[in-house]
Amino acid sequence: MLNLLNLVVSGLATGAIYALVAIGFTLLWQTSQTINFAQGEFVMLPAFFVLAALNVGLPFWAAVVVGMIAALVLLGVTFKLVLVDPMLRHGVLPLAIATMALSIFLKDSVKEFYSAEAQAFPSIVPEGSLALFGTQIPLQSIGVFVLAVAAVVVLQQFLARSSTGRQMQAAAQNPTVARILGIPVERMILYTFLINAALVALASLLITPIYLAKFTSGETLGLAAFIAAIVGGFNQVRGAIVGGVVLGLVDNLAATYVSTQYRGAIPLFLLIAVILWRPQGLVGRAEERTV
Amino acid sequence: MGIDAILELRDVVAGYGEMTILNGTTFDVPRGAITTIIGPNGAGKSTVFKTVFGLLKARQGTIRLGGRDITNASPRRLLEAGICYIPQGRNIFPELSVRHNIELGGVAAGAGVKDLARRIEAALDRFPVLRRKADAQASTLSGGEQKQLEIVRGLLLDPALILIDEPSIGLSPLMVQETFGILTELRARGVSVLMVEQNARSALEMSDYGIVLELGQTRIVDRADAILADPRIGQLFLGGSAA
Repeated sequence: MLNLLNLVVSGLATGAIYALVAIGFTLLWQTSQTINFAQGEFVMLPAFFVLAALNVGLPFWAAVVVGMIAALVLLGVTFKLVLVDPMLRHGVLPLAIATMALSIFLKDSVKEFYSAEAQAFPSIVPEGSLALFGTQIPLQSIGVFVLAVAAVVVLQQFLARSSTGRQMQAAAQNPTVARILGIPVERMILYTFLINAALVALASLLITPIYLAKFTSGETLGLAAFIAAIVGGFNQVRGAIVGGVVLGLVDNLAATYVSTQYRGAIPLFLLIAVILWRPQGLVGRAEERTV
Repeated sequence: MGIDAILELRDVVAGYGEMTILNGTTFDVPRGAITTIIGPNGAGKSTVFKTVFGLLKARQGTIRLGGRDITNASPRRLLEAGICYIPQGRNIFPELSVRHNIELGGVAAGAGVKDLARRIEAALDRFPVLRRKADAQASTLSGGEQKQLEIVRGLLLDPALILIDEPSIGLSPLMVQETFGILTELRARGVSVLMVEQNARSALEMSDYGIVLELGQTRIVDRADAILADPRIGQLFLGGSAA
């Protein structure tokens, strides 16, 4: 029972990180039909930006700021202008394949120019643990969960309550009509790329202290975010949240109660089950496309 | 026609890619009246709207609104200049509330329109159905209610000219009557309406003028009753109307 509480808390923490990455994933899909197969590498990379800034002697928080800015410029603006815009003219599939190539490029670049070794990464939340119902819950898990939830709440409020947020939703739901109403659709799409960059950078800061910074660390994360997005519902931000949390919990509980060996397989079973019985996702909406 | 024109097209050439649809289209749209464009499929009726509204590039020719050149202007500039465009089909943001859908009709004005909130309230007062569902998702509206929402949204910036494409498509006969009623009401307020309608006979019956378009060229521009009475047109476009 006590062990269960611990597992649930760490499951929620992992799930919240998956949700951050999956939200970015679905936002890119909704506004610009981008299926970003490099999303996992987008989470791996900001930690290396921070490490590089630390290596030139910056203090930790300054390095975090530099890492964030680098993420916004490179994974937000540059990604959109240099890769997405030119490739999208050729279609959704060529773009998806280009993001696969980008993922390989990013991984191997880090291996080649930084290091193939796993690097320790300082935690942005306090170490230690909290005694709760007689069990020790790591502050790390609680801090990660709280920060991720706060980020999601801020994002949701921005999208629902601000005029810019609603223009972004409009641009995603019906770009042609948005244009007809004079909504600057291109700028709204750029904003989603910036939001995605901010989300992956935050996820990177939260998860790297737990799993270390390594060029391959995006592989599982990218897959987890992809599965979370599909399980929850690909076309909904709240789908990504539900999918992320479900996946985080299932992942942690299954590893303990079912089998560690099948840990990697269980999310895939979940994915197959959802695709078979509820293809629109747990809270998703069936897509209507007029041709 | 020798009348006061709000919109003038002169030798407009436009199309999709290699394909030319409008081939020197020339006509005037009278101010303060309802004008309906009719013509067979592929004549370029909807293309006229897309070209006027800056969604398709006019390769040649000029388009003027109230004497000002608006050829190839952006939708945002056209909204500022006083045109709104309501395309055919469903043009709502399904997951936003009815109120927020309407509110987005004011985006082009930026901070220019101070009383947007009051205008939205006035629009909701005029359409009780929309008022009742103001905070529901727009996807919960019926087809006719969605069309009303689109019209209300288009009117938010007080346009002088409305381009409306196939307003009757997919609506029940009752809703068609109601939608046409709204357009007549707008004319009474001095708004000019340019409409494309497959339901040509009913549309012409409520219109002041008609324009017959064929292969991207203007065949006839006349009073609507004269077009309705013209036996050639009756046979070609109005007869069984199924063709």
